[in-house]
Amino acid sequence: MVAAMSRASEAAITTEGLTKRYGDVAALVDLDLSVAPGEVVGYLGPNGAGKTTTIRLLLGLHRPSAGRASIFGVDAWEHPVEAHRHVAYVAGEPFLWPSLTSEETFHFLAQLRGGTDVAYRDELAERFELDVRKKIRALSKGNRQKVQLVAALSTRADLLVLDEPTSGLDPLMGLVFRDCIREAKARGQAVFLSSHILSEVEELCDRVGILRRGRLIDQGTLAELRHLSSQTIEVAFSGPVPELPPLAGVVVERDGAGTLRIEAAAGSVGAVVDALAGHAVTSLTTHEASLEEIFLHHYGAKADGDR
Amino acid sequence: MATVEIRRAARRGGATGRRARPALVLARRGFADARVRTLGFAYVFALYSFLQPYGYRTAYPDAIGRAAFATSFGANKGLRIFYGEPYDLSSVGGYTAWRVGGTLAIAAAVFGVLAAVRALRAEEDAGRMEVVLAAPLSRRATYLGAVTSIAWQSLVLFVAELVGLLAGGLPAVGSIWLALATVSVVPVFAGIAAVAGEILPTRRLALECGGAAVAVFLVLRVVADTIDGGGWLRWMSPLGWAEELRPFTGSRPAVLLLAVAATGALSLVPVAIGRARDLGTGLVAAHDDADENRRLLSSPLAYTLRTERGAIAVWSGGVAAFGFVLGVVSESVSSAGIPKSVERELARLGSGSILTPVGYISFVFYFFVLVASLFTCAQIVATRRVEADQQLETVLAEPIGRVRWLGGRVAVAAGGSIAVAVASGVSTWLGAAAVGVRVPFGRLAEAGANCLPTALLFLGASVLAYGALPRASAAISYGVVTVTFLWQAVGSLLGVPRWAVDLTPFAWIGLVPAEAFKATAAATMVALGAGSAVVGIAAFRRRDVLGA
Repeated sequence: MVAAMSRASEAAITTEGLTKRYGDVAALVDLDLSVAPGEVVGYLGPNGAGKTTTIRLLLGLHRPSAGRASIFGVDAWEHPVEAHRHVAYVAGEPFLWPSLTSEETFHFLAQLRGGTDVAYRDELAERFELDVRKKIRALSKGNRQKVQLVAALSTRADLLVLDEPTSGLDPLMGLVFRDCIREAKARGQAVFLSSHILSEVEELCDRVGILRRGRLIDQGTLAELRHLSSQTIEVAFSGPVPELPPLAGVVVERDGAGTLRIEAAAGSVGAVVDALAGHAVTSLTTHEASLEEIFLHHYGAKADGDR
Repeated sequence: MATVEIRRAARRGGATGRRARPALVLARRGFADARVRTLGFAYVFALYSFLQPYGYRTAYPDAIGRAAFATSFGANKGLRIFYGEPYDLSSVGGYTAWRVGGTLAIAAAVFGVLAAVRALRAEEDAGRMEVVLAAPLSRRATYLGAVTSIAWQSLVLFVAELVGLLAGGLPAVGSIWLALATVSVVPVFAGIAAVAGEILPTRRLALECGGAAVAVFLVLRVVADTIDGGGWLRWMSPLGWAEELRPFTGSRPAVLLLAVAATGALSLVPVAIGRARDLGTGLVAAHDDADENRRLLSSPLAYTLRTERGAIAVWSGGVAAFGFVLGVVSESVSSAGIPKSVERELARLGSGSILTPVGYISFVFYFFVLVASLFTCAQIVATRRVEADQQLETVLAEPIGRVRWLGGRVAVAAGGSIAVAVASGVSTWLGAAAVGVRVPFGRLAEAGANCLPTALLFLGASVLAYGALPRASAAISYGVVTVTFLWQAVGSLLGVPRWAVDLTPFAWIGLVPAEAFKATAAATMVALGAGSAVVGIAAFRRRDVLGA
C-alpha cells in the first residue's frame, strides 16, 4: 500500500512515440498512451491490430524500433526487472508448464516474483472454482486462463497487464473476473485490459483506446467517444410521416407504420430537432451509441475508406 | 493479512536476495524437467564405465595377455573412430580411458545439445519464457538458471561415471580425471547449442544445428585420430580435448582449462545477444510468410512425408557421411601380429572380428543397425508429439480413421529406415572402393538391408509403447533400444548364461558381410515387429487422444 501511495503521482504506463516494426511491417506506430494509478483502461482492436505487440513492448519483451514505454517512470526495455516489480501479466495464450499442477504453478510463479499474497490467492482460487490439484495439461483452455488470472491478481501488483484475459472463460467466471477488476481498481491498482469483448470493456473501463492497423485512432472516456459518434433517434407521428429535408450527417429510414429511424452524426442532432418542429410527433426516443456501435463505426467506415 | 504478505514479498525482494533467487528457482524447475533424460544418461554412463575395466580384467587377467592385446590394438586405426587414440592399452586404466573417454564424450556432447535447447529455445518456443520474463527478473537470470540446471545435470553424470569407474576397481584420482574429461564436454556443447538457439528462431533448427556441431567435431576428431600427422587437429575439437587429458596414463588436467574457457566464452554470447533481441525470435528471422506450396498436402500420409522428409534426409545423410569415412578407414585394419588366442578373447569384448577390413566393416554395421533402430524410435516419438501438440485432434475430427493416420506414420518410419539402410550400405562401399578395399557391392547392399529387420522390430515395439502408454512412450522406445544394445556386452562380460545373452535382438544379427545373413532370425524380428505394431495400433484405436 505504501508503495502504491508513493507512486500515486507517477503514471502507471506512459508511452511516447512508441513504434515497432518487424522487417517491413509496422506493427505499432507512434503510440502515445498514459494510464494513471487506479485507472482501468480498455485497449480495443481487431485481430492483428497491434494489441499484443503493445503489451510485449510494455513488458520489455520486444525492443521498440522508436519511442519508449515506461512503467511507473521506469523504462520497460532498459530496466525490465525494476519495471516488473510493479506489474502482473496475463498472457493472451495460457502457455504454462504441462507437468505442474495449478498449485505448483502458483508456487513457482510466486517464487519468481519473490512473493505473493497467499491468502488472497487461495480466496481467488476458490472464487474461480479452480481445482488446484489438477495438472495444467489436464485443464481446458478456460481453466488454464483462470490459473493465469489467479496468479496475476494475487500479486496485488500496482499494474495489471491483461491480454484478452476472459477468452475461454464461461459467463459466470466472466462475472467473477469483473468483480476482481473492480476490487483491484478500488485498491488503487491500474489495469491495462486488451480485449475485443466490448461489453466487458464498456462495463469496466474508465477510458478506452481504439487501435487499428498499429495506430491509436481514438481514445477517451466512453462519454467522450460517444460525443463523437452518431445517435439513433426514433420518432413516431400521429399523422402521415413527413418527408424531412436532406441534412448533412443525417440518415433517415422509414421504419414501418408511422415511425422514422434517424441516425444523426455528432453535431447534427440540433438540425434534426429543427426539422421535426411543427410535425405531429407523438413520441421521440434516442439512445446513445454503445461501444459496439462506436467500434463498428470506426472500423466499418474507415476500412471502406482504405479500399 | 494482505499487508503482511506484501511486506514479506518486499523483504524477499530485498537488495541481497533478488539477484540470485529467481535464477535458482528457474534452475530447480529446469532440473526437475530434465530428470528423466538425466537419469537415463546417468544409467548409461555408470554402466558403461563399469563394464570396461571389469571386462578388460576378465579377458586379460595377466600382463602377457595385456601386452599382446596392446601391441595388436595400438595399430588398429579402425577402432579409433569410436574410441579415439589409445595411450596405454596394457593397463586397465589406459584401456578404460580409451574405451570410455572416446564414446561417452560423444554421448555427453549430445546431452549438452539436448539440455541447452530444452532449457532455452524450447521454453521460448512454447511461450513460457514470456510468462517467466513478465516477472521481475532479467533475461540474464533465465540464462543463469539454465546454466545452473545444466551444471547440476552434469554433476549427476559425473557422479554416475565416477561410481561406475570406482566400482570397476580403478584408482580414484584417475577416475576423477576421466569422469571430468568426459563430462566437461557437456557444458561446451550446451554453450554451442545455446548460441544456436539465440541465432535460429525455432527449437527444431537449434537442435539440428547442435547435432551438426557434434557431427563436425566428431569427424574432426576421427581425422585427427586416424590420419598420420593429423594429431594436432584433436586440439580443434572439444571431443578431442577429452582424449588429450589422458587419465591414468600421465594425466594432464590442465586440458580441462580449454573446456572451462570455451564454456565461459560461449555462455557470454547468448547473454549478449539475448539482451538485444525480441523475445520469441532469433537473430535470423523465421520465415513467417511463404508462397503457397501445395505439395504433399493431399493426405495425412503425404503430410507426414512433408514434415519428416527433412529428418529422413538428415539421418540418411549423416549415416552416409559416416559410412564413407568408415569405409575409407577400413583399409588400415589388419590382423598382423595378433595371436589366435587373443582373437578369441577379443570376441568377449564385443568387438570380435575387427582384424580384417571386411571384419571391421561388419563390426561397423552393428553400429548402423543401432542407428537405424534409433531412427524408427525417433519417428514414433515425433508421432507422439503431433498428438501432444493437439494437431492430431484436428486431423481426427476430419473423416480420417485412426488406423489410417497411424498406419501412414508407421509406413513413413519404415520407408525412412530403408533410406537409412541403403545409405549405410552404398556409402560404406564407396568409401572402401575409394581406397581399394575389395568388397562386392552386393554384399554391402546386403549389409545395409540387414539393418532393417532390427529397425522394424524396434519400430513395432515403439508403436506398441505409443499405443499403450503414450506419455511414457519416448522413454520406453529409446530405453528399450539402449538397454538391449548394451545387454549383449553386459551379459557376455558378466558371464550370464548364453540363452540370457541371446534375449537381445542385437545378438541375433548375422554380421554381414563377414558372416552369412541369418534369414530365420530376420524373419522372426520382422514378424515380432509387425505383431507389436498391430497390437499397438489396436491399442491406439481404443484409447483416448491425450494432450501433453
